[in-house]
Amino acid sequence: MAIISREQIVEGLEEILGKEQVITDEQVLKESSLDRYRKYEQVCEVYTQPIPAAVVYVKSTQEVADVLSFANENEINVVPRTGHSAIEGGLETALKDSIVIDGSTMNKVIKVDEYNMQVTCQCGVPLQELDDMLRERGYTTGHSPQSKPLAQIGGLVATRSIGQFSTLYGGIEDMIVGMEAVFPNGKVCRIKNVPRRAAGPDIRHIICGNEGAICFITEVTLKLFKWQPQNNRYIGYKLDDEYMKLGFDCLREVMVEGYKPSFARLYDAADAQQHFSAWLEEGKAILIWMAEGPANITPAIEEGIKGLMSKHPELEEVDPALIEKWYGGLNWGPEQIAEEKEEILATRNIGITTEVSGSWDNIYEIYKTACDRILEEVPDMTLMGGHSSHSYINGTNMYFVYYYNVVDCAPEEEINKYHDRINQIICEQVIKYGGSIVHHHGLGKARAKYVTQEYGSSYYMLKTLKQAFDPNGIMNMGTLIPLRK
Amino acid sequence: MKILGCFKVVPDLDLIVEEDWNIENHLHIDTGYAKLIWNCFDEGALEMMLRLSDLSEGLNVVYKLSALTIGRQKTESFLKTLYALGFSEGARICVEEEEEILFSPEMISEGIANYVKKIEGQDVILTGIQSSDGNNKMTPYLLAEKFGWPCITQVIGLEPIDEEQLKVTSQVSGGCIVRKVKTPCVLATGNAPCSYLRIPTLKAKMKLGKRPVTRLMPEDMGMSETAESVRVTALNPINRKRNTVVIEADSPQEKARCLYEKYLKERLSEL
Repeated sequence: MAIISREQIVEGLEEILGKEQVITDEQVLKESSLDRYRKYEQVCEVYTQPIPAAVVYVKSTQEVADVLSFANENEINVVPRTGHSAIEGGLETALKDSIVIDGSTMNKVIKVDEYNMQVTCQCGVPLQELDDMLRERGYTTGHSPQSKPLAQIGGLVATRSIGQFSTLYGGIEDMIVGMEAVFPNGKVCRIKNVPRRAAGPDIRHIICGNEGAICFITEVTLKLFKWQPQNNRYIGYKLDDEYMKLGFDCLREVMVEGYKPSFARLYDAADAQQHFSAWLEEGKAILIWMAEGPANITPAIEEGIKGLMSKHPELEEVDPALIEKWYGGLNWGPEQIAEEKEEILATRNIGITTEVSGSWDNIYEIYKTACDRILEEVPDMTLMGGHSSHSYINGTNMYFVYYYNVVDCAPEEEINKYHDRINQIICEQVIKYGGSIVHHHGLGKARAKYVTQEYGSSYYMLKTLKQAFDPNGIMNMGTLIPLRK
Repeated sequence: MKILGCFKVVPDLDLIVEEDWNIENHLHIDTGYAKLIWNCFDEGALEMMLRLSDLSEGLNVVYKLSALTIGRQKTESFLKTLYALGFSEGARICVEEEEEILFSPEMISEGIANYVKKIEGQDVILTGIQSSDGNNKMTPYLLAEKFGWPCITQVIGLEPIDEEQLKVTSQVSGGCIVRKVKTPCVLATGNAPCSYLRIPTLKAKMKLGKRPVTRLMPEDMGMSETAESVRVTALNPINRKRNTVVIEADSPQEKARCLYEKYLKERLSEL
């Protein structure tokens, strides 16, 4: 907790940055006290978290270093942010008089290096703008999360993000080259851009996925890939929902046989109706793949996948044009958020997601038992389902999708009655069957309470990292490592 | 009081990819891949019916809510949702090729009218003012004309009075008008304040949503014989592109100055 007053915090920040970059408007502060984990509180404009002392907009690495040094000296909690699209409580200001450091004003693309196939940009570069610009030149980052219209580079790296084409390009951890980050004592560290090195541990991973709890990311270099959408091939099959286990096995088969589609997805019937209701019968799950890459590769992937799937009489092929067109409208931007807010307020019905991962031998049990328990134990559910959207040689993820009516419950009580309860059930089932409770949204504060179960004996390493780099405990406290009660 | 809600299930047009709006010389837009949603005006009407029913608790009025749609089999899941929300009857006039009636409000109103005659005793027919895809904006008027019933459009609220009357609030230019309306009547919602339909729980769907939907054939509802007085001959997309100038400058202050000097100053001086 800060050792100086709220007023002194603001004065100190104004001395460093000037008044224009230090925001103390009450509404801005309230909206900066939470993220979309508390979606219901957010849409009802009820704020239960401590309101930060200020939101500061930084323009340079030096300004970040100066603000962090000031916070470190005065033991002020700092919450780093860029696109404000977090959904696991990572941006909640859990301690009184926090400072939110917003890097969205550091939004310059520093260098597009087409020969070495890498792009360097500041933390606040919006991914949508970056990728649109690159695609005009025939390139892509290969990173395309659903939050693409909102998310910015710093936050994507900080949360260890993953995109829809991960099966080909990998997660953000596979795309990062070098980085620059500022630690709480103001120390600026740059990791150089090289294709690979074996000089000790890969220290990029102290930064990647730190969720603002260790350092502030100011600059990132990402790999580039050729953008060749004209070669894309889409493949889809429907199957009865009772064959979800088979669906996971189909995803596995494609991976094990060595194919590299860019996306590989399995939707259960409940979730599928949210996307494909125009033509998919109720009670049907759906499997889809997209092959991306050179013109002579994608038909081979398509043919290979179709060959594998032809051995399963339970599958029925669907028109690939339906998949291609559906894909065109998948992303989630500001318009959808505004519409969702209006709908939640009108219906008191809210939709949430939780993403986890598991090995091939436990993902079905995780999916099935979590769904069953939620339906049994949580009241007022209106939809319970999910999809797998990122597959690996040894397993896949599960993206639980659930909706419920908020009944007889004040906005500030909703989180306890519904959302936390559902989160708890999912985490319990994942831990029971040996998966990971977090696939790509970060632990945030919502799931930090399960961190010791998630890490087991390796929690020692995470805790030591936190203590070493943030001895005064100023970096996004409550994220990754829960606050002591 | 028996109230029939007539609704249409439509594709979510926000999901239509840009190239599909390039119709060229045919009269069909491919919306077959877009997820299905309630037509927004009808959704408001159905929620209004439920709210009216909620308001009747403790009063001496019982509202029997039923619903009718015209469309393909996929629309039946929407009727089952209404069952789960407390509607007592759900019917579908089975038209699998919805394109054929998209611009035919005469056929639609004929089908609805014959259904109303068939089930007898409806006091109120409630619809949305238009659909988001056909946009004909004629069905409620045609229905009222067929029955000789009064028709109130732009309805934004319903309140119970007794078994034969409703308090109807509708929007008019510059304000709202509240009327006591004697049934039978046709009501049509426009931009209703409650435009979203409540969501039934999975338990309610399991308990109430499994009842079969009444299926009716269009020929039995007189739709086949209805002559079309209007025929679509061309569709043209609206070009929503605007000319844009990107102001280049080193700082937001300079950009703002440039915006003011070049584009706003003169206009503002005219105000």
